[in-house]
Amino acid sequence: MAMPKQSRGALLFLLTVILLIALGPWIAPYPATEFHSRHILEGPGTTYLLGTDEFGRDVLSRILWGARPTLLLALASAGLGVLLGTPTGLIAGYFGGRLDEILMRVMDVLMSFPALILAMLIVVMMGPNPVNVVLAIGVVFWPRSARLVRSVSQDLARREFIEAAKARGEAHVFILGRELLPNVLSILVVDFTLRVAAAILLTASLSYLGVGVVPPTPAWGLMVRDGQQFLQNAPWLVLFPCLAIALVSVGTVLVGDYLRRRVAVPGGERIA
Amino acid sequence: MTQPLLDIAGLAVSYGTTNRRVPAVRNVSFAIAPGEAYGLIGESGSGKTTIAFAVMGHLNGGRVDAGRILFRDRDILALSPQELASLRGRSIAMVYQDPLSSLNPTLRVGEQVAEGIRHHRGLSHRAAAAEAASLLDQVHLPDPARLMLRYPHELSGGQQQRVVIAMALACRPQLLIMDEPTTGLDVTTEAVILDLVAELRSALGVAILFISHNLGVVRRVCDRIGVLYAGELMEEGRTEKVLQRPRHPYTRSLLRSIPEIGRRSERLASIAGSLPDLTSLPSGCIFHPRCPEARDICASAAPPVEEVEPGHISRCHFARDLPDALAEDTASASMKDLPEGRKPLLRVVDLEMHYVRSRRFGPFGRTIRVPALSGVGIEVAAGETLAIVGESGSGKSTLARCIVGLAAPTGGSIEFEGTPLTATRPRATRRDIQIIFQNPEAALNPFHTVAEIIARPLRLYGLREGPAIRQRVIELLDAVKLGERFSTHYPRELSGGEKQRVSIARAFAAEPRLVICDEPTSALDISVQAALLNELKELQRRYGTSYLFISHDLSVVRHIAERVAVMYLGLILETGPTAEVFQPPHHPYTEALISAVPTVSPVDRGPVLRLQGSVPDPANPPAGCVFHTRCPRKLGRVCETDAPPWRHTSAGRAYACHIPPEDLLALQQQPTTETDRPLPEMEEPHER
Amino acid sequence: MSLSRLILRRVALLALVLVAVSLLTFAIVNILPGDVATAILGESATPADLAALRSRMGLDLPLGTRYLTWIGHMLRGDFGTSLAFNLPVAPILLWRLGNSAILAALVLIISVPCALTLGVVAAVYEGSLLDRFLSLAAVFTFALPEFVIGLVLILVFSILYPVLPGSSLMEPGLNPLSQPLALVLPILVLVLHQLAHLSQITRASMINALGSNYVRAARLKGLPPALVVVKHALRNALAPAIAEVGMNFGYVLGGLVVVETLFSYAGVGQLMVMSVENRDVPTLEATVLVIAVAYGVGNLLADIVSLRLNPRLRS
Repeated sequence: MAMPKQSRGALLFLLTVILLIALGPWIAPYPATEFHSRHILEGPGTTYLLGTDEFGRDVLSRILWGARPTLLLALASAGLGVLLGTPTGLIAGYFGGRLDEILMRVMDVLMSFPALILAMLIVVMMGPNPVNVVLAIGVVFWPRSARLVRSVSQDLARREFIEAAKARGEAHVFILGRELLPNVLSILVVDFTLRVAAAILLTASLSYLGVGVVPPTPAWGLMVRDGQQFLQNAPWLVLFPCLAIALVSVGTVLVGDYLRRRVAVPGGERIA
Repeated sequence: MTQPLLDIAGLAVSYGTTNRRVPAVRNVSFAIAPGEAYGLIGESGSGKTTIAFAVMGHLNGGRVDAGRILFRDRDILALSPQELASLRGRSIAMVYQDPLSSLNPTLRVGEQVAEGIRHHRGLSHRAAAAEAASLLDQVHLPDPARLMLRYPHELSGGQQQRVVIAMALACRPQLLIMDEPTTGLDVTTEAVILDLVAELRSALGVAILFISHNLGVVRRVCDRIGVLYAGELMEEGRTEKVLQRPRHPYTRSLLRSIPEIGRRSERLASIAGSLPDLTSLPSGCIFHPRCPEARDICASAAPPVEEVEPGHISRCHFARDLPDALAEDTASASMKDLPEGRKPLLRVVDLEMHYVRSRRFGPFGRTIRVPALSGVGIEVAAGETLAIVGESGSGKSTLARCIVGLAAPTGGSIEFEGTPLTATRPRATRRDIQIIFQNPEAALNPFHTVAEIIARPLRLYGLREGPAIRQRVIELLDAVKLGERFSTHYPRELSGGEKQRVSIARAFAAEPRLVICDEPTSALDISVQAALLNELKELQRRYGTSYLFISHDLSVVRHIAERVAVMYLGLILETGPTAEVFQPPHHPYTEALISAVPTVSPVDRGPVLRLQGSVPDPANPPAGCVFHTRCPRKLGRVCETDAPPWRHTSAGRAYACHIPPEDLLALQQQPTTETDRPLPEMEEPHER
Repeated sequence: MSLSRLILRRVALLALVLVAVSLLTFAIVNILPGDVATAILGESATPADLAALRSRMGLDLPLGTRYLTWIGHMLRGDFGTSLAFNLPVAPILLWRLGNSAILAALVLIISVPCALTLGVVAAVYEGSLLDRFLSLAAVFTFALPEFVIGLVLILVFSILYPVLPGSSLMEPGLNPLSQPLALVLPILVLVLHQLAHLSQITRASMINALGSNYVRAARLKGLPPALVVVKHALRNALAPAIAEVGMNFGYVLGGLVVVETLFSYAGVGQLMVMSVENRDVPTLEATVLVIAVAYGVGNLLADIVSLRLNPRLRS
């Protein structure tokens, strides 16, 4: 059967991203932090395809080197959020009652900060390094994932196959792991993809605001921040990292959107 | 026939894409005279709803491939959108299956009735509101002026459907289309809605196209009926002719697969096979693969439309040759006697259970207790079937949940073989009591295969190990007539009936002593229900399992149970052997339930009795007798103040009422209102 | 239950949540690994300097006492003293809060009606060219960080074609409405972001409503199509869309931080970023708390509107 256009596009995109993460540094023409002092602020040309920055560093190389931290950071923080949110949501939805009440009120409090603000606060107070960025964004995503999983598992927990398992005398762990989890898996995949997109935005915004990874790490958001002062004369310093962010984040959103549509189809096949 | 109001000729409607068209309706023709009530009968997938909406000019993605729909000589399918809009709601109006979803949740009820009046009849706001109030009054809604200001979700199901009917009648239409208007309502509510339909029809002279899967309901409303199967009209004629002397094998099979309240047989006839795939229809007669009468010609030639007698047509090669009588093809056995003197397997004493309805919002607010069971006592002996009958809100499902240990009772006791049971109980005890749920769609985990689902109890209780598990799974699949090939299927690949069979196999995998059947067939088509009930009986015979059979359907109960307990608002009002409970003197509530059940055959069923109003708020049950607020035989003050005494009429038979048996018997044996000649072949000899 | 009682409950609930929020803010600042004094003075500070700062800021007192003192001061309107400006935080914060509120209000006033209209049109003409264009545009503007959109707009409108100022810098104490041109680009960035997302939400809930049985019933009553869309479908689609405005308010506030920084607009968001750069912990704490309160109040308002629109939620 011919693959639908959309899923081919999604697959292609995922492959590109994986390649970028794996090979970015090898395809890059120059090391990310190599100074070419005679080629400061050069526009895009044949030697430096996307131009150079104020230290004469090759913009293309920095973008390629920057792909890995940007994407790994996003994947790790989205993963952490989903990893924290899934058990919380499953347990709250399945057990209900007081436990649900307590867990969800805690989630409410975490939710009562705008995402970027909470992430910023945590990173600032814990110190700007990649691990803390992942932790901060993971915590920001935690209640959002938990709420989603809870709403699904709450609905599932009322279904009769869960009642049947309870009536049989199955252990809670079995019900959570074998009966409920497979049913939320497809939603988790969608949620994860959309969270990756959100994490790319958040990490980029954090580094743009100067919170997050510290120079000279070639994070894309940081490159935009540093390049902003040369906007008038060297717009490529801002434009190309922006384009990189746009490509990856739009692509991820499209993949997530595509997956969401697939999952929403009634009687649709299972994903993952 | 006089000039017909609606004349459908050769209608064909299909859905889907150009690559894969599903012909949902093919070559359907029928006509409805002014003021006539016409019933379209069919199981799911028969195309009946497609036809109903096509008459409204609403095809919803469907395409008319052929035919015309003439309404007063104008083809509805050829009207412009404007012409259609002026017809809809004014000349043709519709009543829908699910009233709540058909009412706008954010608009007040009165406005929803009035807006059509303003639009079509050009009345002012004030006049339209007054008109709406009188319509609500006409459908017997109490206090219309106040009710108009309420939102749909604040009304009961029966009231919602009355509002929808009032909405449909707003512009005095000539044709009313009713699409399963009582499906999903309680029996007693259904009965009063059907009475209302009959009353409005005679008062307003409106013609009705009545769509239903329930033959008994159609019989109560319609002059003529058409039987649809897989998108084709198989038989048509006057209601009593079709139901009593069916001239098509499909109609005959359908009629025989219905459990009837007036008769009791050991086996129901079911229809073999399942609905054909509409994209690859069988050649010849579309029913031939499932037809008990099929011969060679049926597979090769499409049957002609045969007019067996004036106005009665059938699309069958052998329409004239079919025997008159609806012979029972299975021997009817006599009823099992009450297991007397035997120790009960399950004993429930004074069971009480209340839910805590939270009125909390965050940390504030308080809680109120809503009783679901207020002192229920039942006993089930080994190998017998006890049915619990009740409408929604009676507490019957709560009782089931308490017995299987899904809910913790707040009072009373449950004993299984003399051992008290609580909600936390050892796995071995859980094995003995299994449950089959109502909704087959939700009862199976969509991510487990059939084999995994059935094997789980075997593994959990350590009943089989290694290869013996697979062996046993196949045995069980065979026992529920599914066969090994289903073992690798996922639930989504199964039909409703097949899913329910898997549920049954899973329950029996545990080798239980007692199986709780919580409305196991109420979500299924009639012919599937018949097969499933037969299998449940067979399994019971084979394994000697006891059933606690929970149902709202008295006909099914009559068919399957030895004893019955009737529940209302968390209390048992009557209990006894099935056949006796169905005979007077019985509790007025039982009487009303029986009177409400629509039947296919005209049977002597005593005076017509209807319940008014709706079930009281369980959080606030009436004092005295819980039934007094709706009781048509209420004595007076005593019913409001004193709990009724238990009256024992014979061994194992009792009801709770202030009226003594002699008086009840006198009241309930008044002359019948249904005077149709009873058909001998529909009766069971031992019942008379 | 009556509407006013429900609203009263939500207000009470908000008060509780805000207490929890203040605790959490305090906890993140004071309990998480990472020392306040080090955060202010930097890694290179001497132990003596750190100790001096700790005792000046009362950091050596027990946690409970510190929280109560802090929250007590906050409630009385004393937001502490800024370490960077050596001035009381309250007046600075108040002026900037007003500026941010003007920005946010303008964004909502422009984006909400536009988004609802676009969403309804897209839903009614589902699958049309317009619908597909809007969906695609939504993905792009949703997926792009505000600073990317902002920089591109600056590049186009103030560098390539210099028609609008690329910076909203202004004198302290000035009303931002006095230089309306400087507001155009910041508002445009935030509106684009909001518009995309919100119109898609409206579209989805509108499509849902249009496919419902009650809309079918209204059509089959013979009511004119426009009436069916506005009176029957939109009425029901509005509640989820408005609830989403509330949820989205967090993004608006997050967006404010980025946009205010980008355009040097003197709002709370910029203050927050400045206090991060200056390691000005008291200002940071106060700003975060004020933003959380604004967020809570915004959500509450959206909640109340949803309650008004949807009678089902009231029972």
